[in-house]
Amino acid sequence: MDLSIRAARRHVLSGLAAVGLAAALSATAQAQTELKVGYMKHPIQDASLDMMDKWAKANNVKLTRVPMAYNIFMEKVTATLTSGNDQFDVIWHNDDWGQLWEKWLEPTDDVKGMENMSKWPLDAFWSADKKLTVVPMAYTVGTFFYRSDLIKPNEVPKTWAELVSTGQRLQKEGKVKWGYVGGMSFNNTWFSFWWTMWSNNCDIFHPLFERDAAKLKAGGFKAAIADPCHKQVVEFWWDALKTHKISPEAMTSYGRNEANAIFMAGDAAFTLVDSTHYGDFSDPAKSKIVGKIGMAPFPVGPNAKVPTAWHEIWGWGIPKGSPAEKKKLAKAMLGAMMLDEEGQVEMWKKTGGPPPSNKAWAKIEAQDPVFKQLKNAVFDQKPVAHSAYYFAEWPAVHKAYSDTVIKALTGKREDIGKVLEEGAPLVSKAAMN
Amino acid sequence: MPQETDVTIPVADLDHPPKPPVFGERQRFMLLLIAPAVAALIFFQIVPILTGANASFRDWSLHDPKLTWVGLKHYIYVLTDPGFIWVVMPNTIFFMVVSVAASLVLGLGLALILNQKFPGRGLLQTIILLPLMVAPVVAAIMIRWMFNDQFGIVNVVFEAIGLPPQPWLAQRWSAFSVILLADIWLWTPWFALLLLAGLQSLPKEPFEAAAIDGATRWRVFRYLTLPMLRSVMVVCIVIRSIDAFRTFDIVWTISAGGPARSTELFSIYAYIEAFQSMNFARGSAAAMIGAAVIVVLAMIIFRVLNRWVEVSK
Repeated sequence: MDLSIRAARRHVLSGLAAVGLAAALSATAQAQTELKVGYMKHPIQDASLDMMDKWAKANNVKLTRVPMAYNIFMEKVTATLTSGNDQFDVIWHNDDWGQLWEKWLEPTDDVKGMENMSKWPLDAFWSADKKLTVVPMAYTVGTFFYRSDLIKPNEVPKTWAELVSTGQRLQKEGKVKWGYVGGMSFNNTWFSFWWTMWSNNCDIFHPLFERDAAKLKAGGFKAAIADPCHKQVVEFWWDALKTHKISPEAMTSYGRNEANAIFMAGDAAFTLVDSTHYGDFSDPAKSKIVGKIGMAPFPVGPNAKVPTAWHEIWGWGIPKGSPAEKKKLAKAMLGAMMLDEEGQVEMWKKTGGPPPSNKAWAKIEAQDPVFKQLKNAVFDQKPVAHSAYYFAEWPAVHKAYSDTVIKALTGKREDIGKVLEEGAPLVSKAAMN
Repeated sequence: MPQETDVTIPVADLDHPPKPPVFGERQRFMLLLIAPAVAALIFFQIVPILTGANASFRDWSLHDPKLTWVGLKHYIYVLTDPGFIWVVMPNTIFFMVVSVAASLVLGLGLALILNQKFPGRGLLQTIILLPLMVAPVVAAIMIRWMFNDQFGIVNVVFEAIGLPPQPWLAQRWSAFSVILLADIWLWTPWFALLLLAGLQSLPKEPFEAAAIDGATRWRVFRYLTLPMLRSVMVVCIVIRSIDAFRTFDIVWTISAGGPARSTELFSIYAYIEAFQSMNFARGSAAAMIGAAVIVVLAMIIFRVLNRWVEVSK
């Protein structure tokens, strides 16, 4: 009887000990704060998150990655931000939609390391009360890539005419199927229409290259797409697709994936896309042109004398809906990422994403000829254009623009002027709705 | 002698009889059973529709919802948008008519084949039903790559037989054809399945009588099978027409409404306004207009087809 009571007592005590241990473990787990990051699955974003993860592990913070598809990212995160809930503590923030979220994001001026960042790419991210709403992750820059195994650096086209003649020569020699490929369908406009537009000293609205929304509004958002410089752009592409045939006719339906697939298959001599794709081009599992890629300034149109460029950033934002203590942690984490120069150098090596800190740049430039090439192709070029406009109706403007120029390309060449004349008021209207 | 006790026997109050419960036990049980479905319907259908309807009368941009009342402003915008009137609505109705008609004809053909007895019928039936098991987005991605001008199998075949490769998605009608092909491929098995069920439920006697009379197969089909199958066909056509009117996923994945809006359907228009242009109110107004159009269309289709069934009786 005594024995059985003792045994029962032992069981109860050991049970209590187990419960106590579980409670203690649970308390420890609860003490670890969780930061949830909404982002797009991409090597550069993962590399930036890896830097944050280092800080998170050292500071007993659990970093949870919540990947989302690009196609729904802006819509999904906008709905989350405006609802004010705390679904995310950090989100991927992009210059294209910087102006949409300024009301819903925490100021980031006080994040450590921001002083090491160039000011130009931050233009998209100022709130109405002149506070920054972004912490940069990496530069995303339009880069003209060429096949270095087919063309010597001194043969790289410097004008549109040379782009056509060199492309046709390589096609005739049977070295490539196409001279140039690039995304052209809606939301891929940068990789065809827009780089040629800016390289032809042209823009979407008057005054040309103005990005102050108040000034543009004062001018009634007067569209410049029927201007002679813009007509030249559309005519160049019409000829490229249908007369010179340096680009596939179906390019009007291409996104960057289709264009990249052709370039990586070794079927095209030139492309223009964000430098963030350099990592894919150099990945032997995906690409047949590893080690055969060069970068150069954009070829110039007949209306311009010197190449232009655009360089913007991908960044991170902190939603206002996130609880105060998490916002503080998020800022500390992003500051640690900004100051992690070694991590940023590593990010460049792994992904080809130019890191945000100017201090990291100096280190990379000293040791990496590819970065030197990219710097020459993009960052050293003046003038620089911003690759978007910074007002809330910008996505609607982009769509109206894209519909107009694609319509012009799918029609007759002699109708291009008429289609652009008809489309200009639609572009202005989209900006004012 | 039993002792007298002071017991009050309840007497029915004839002037105020107790009210019978609104629902009997059986009805209450039935209501309980459907309650989860009703709750789901309310929260996931009715509330969103009412929210959308409310939004359509307000200044409700997705990034900065002010929620101020603007009356019919968004409805007027949509109804006076030449793109909506002259491109989107005609495209939607064209898509609906062609897709439903082609799927019906092909589905009926398949149902007639599957209604015969032959070896391997079960296997063929399974193969034919496969598209029903594929998610529309997956099917659309597959078809988009099949018709890719550089890597697609269709152009490979074209080149193999000496035809020039085509930029399928770069022109309006070729892009529209690819979209229709995808939709018809996905929905033909659905028609086949329902029409086969209809065929198998038809009475045998008229067919036996026709056989005795020596009627040809065409006359049996024309004067027996088709009239007797009409009621099933009407249900299929009405359901599928409503569904085709609001098609989104296939078109979005294959062409996103392009090139230059030329394959844009009503649901794409509403999506672009609401989620790309961030004008949730205008997108909702477009959705409400589309809903009204499809209600009217469905009533017309149902009435016309119903008369056709009545006449056939």
